[in-house]
Amino acid sequence: MEDSRMQDKTLNEKESLALIAQMIQNTQKRFERGTGANMLVWGYATVFATFSVWLALRLTGNPNWNFLWFLIPLIGYPYILFQSRQPKLVKTYIDKVIKYIWMVVGITGFFLSAATIFNFMWAFPILFVVILMMGMGSMLTGLVTEFKPSVIGSFAGMLIGFVNYLVPDYDIKMLTFALAFICIDVIPGHILNYRAKKRCSKS
Amino acid sequence: MFKELNPILHSELRLGVMSILISVESADFTYIRKQTGTTAGNLSVQIEKLKEAGYIDVTKSFKGKMPCTTCKITQQGIEAFQQYIDALQSYLHPEQHKKEE
Repeated sequence: MEDSRMQDKTLNEKESLALIAQMIQNTQKRFERGTGANMLVWGYATVFATFSVWLALRLTGNPNWNFLWFLIPLIGYPYILFQSRQPKLVKTYIDKVIKYIWMVVGITGFFLSAATIFNFMWAFPILFVVILMMGMGSMLTGLVTEFKPSVIGSFAGMLIGFVNYLVPDYDIKMLTFALAFICIDVIPGHILNYRAKKRCSKS
Repeated sequence: MFKELNPILHSELRLGVMSILISVESADFTYIRKQTGTTAGNLSVQIEKLKEAGYIDVTKSFKGKMPCTTCKITQQGIEAFQQYIDALQSYLHPEQHKKEE
């Protein structure tokens, strides 16, 4: 049996090129368990916060319950913090691009939402804008990583976003907002986790 | 004319390490060891040689309580790698290379 361990030996020219190609390919095909967890945390946090705000406002009519929207960063950011403390074996340039996409989208989304909740921009269609922003972020991530479910899910989510903007009924606005995030984050997140689990158990 | 192959890169393990690092921003020692299938001792020696040549940067840190050695290719390493590929091609396609010259 051939020994696959690399050693300190010289190779011929063809072997060298083959080795370079193989190493680069192995790195690009990397798939880790739990890769979809990020999407699932943010997706479920958004769906949960949406239903909490909707239910609380329906039951009491008190607009202060809008502060429950902060449940999303309260659930999402500790997860990011926890994740950043986990040892990451390899960091690709794609990871870096994705990090910056979400940094820009996340910070802008947070400040826009905060400004709306604190009534600085009361007439702003924040739900529609947040769906568009998160949809764009997720679609870019899907395109960069060549993960089609994210691209399709984001497109569907953004279409739902237009329904959200055009329909004046509050209940439908909240329902379409949650539905958009199920398309943008939850469904692609589960598909990604399933694929990663399958690949990892194969290897 | 054949170009000279850089002896630092013309070794299976060191070339393997450089090929991994050329395609990522940074990689952990454990990841490189797994990909190359070599022993930790042998890999440490080769990484040290690449570091001495100025081809990679090695950072030792802690993630929580776990020690973590991260390797990253340097600009000098990228240039050496490109020259190495260029030299390899002069061996594999000598005629094409002659025309370019």
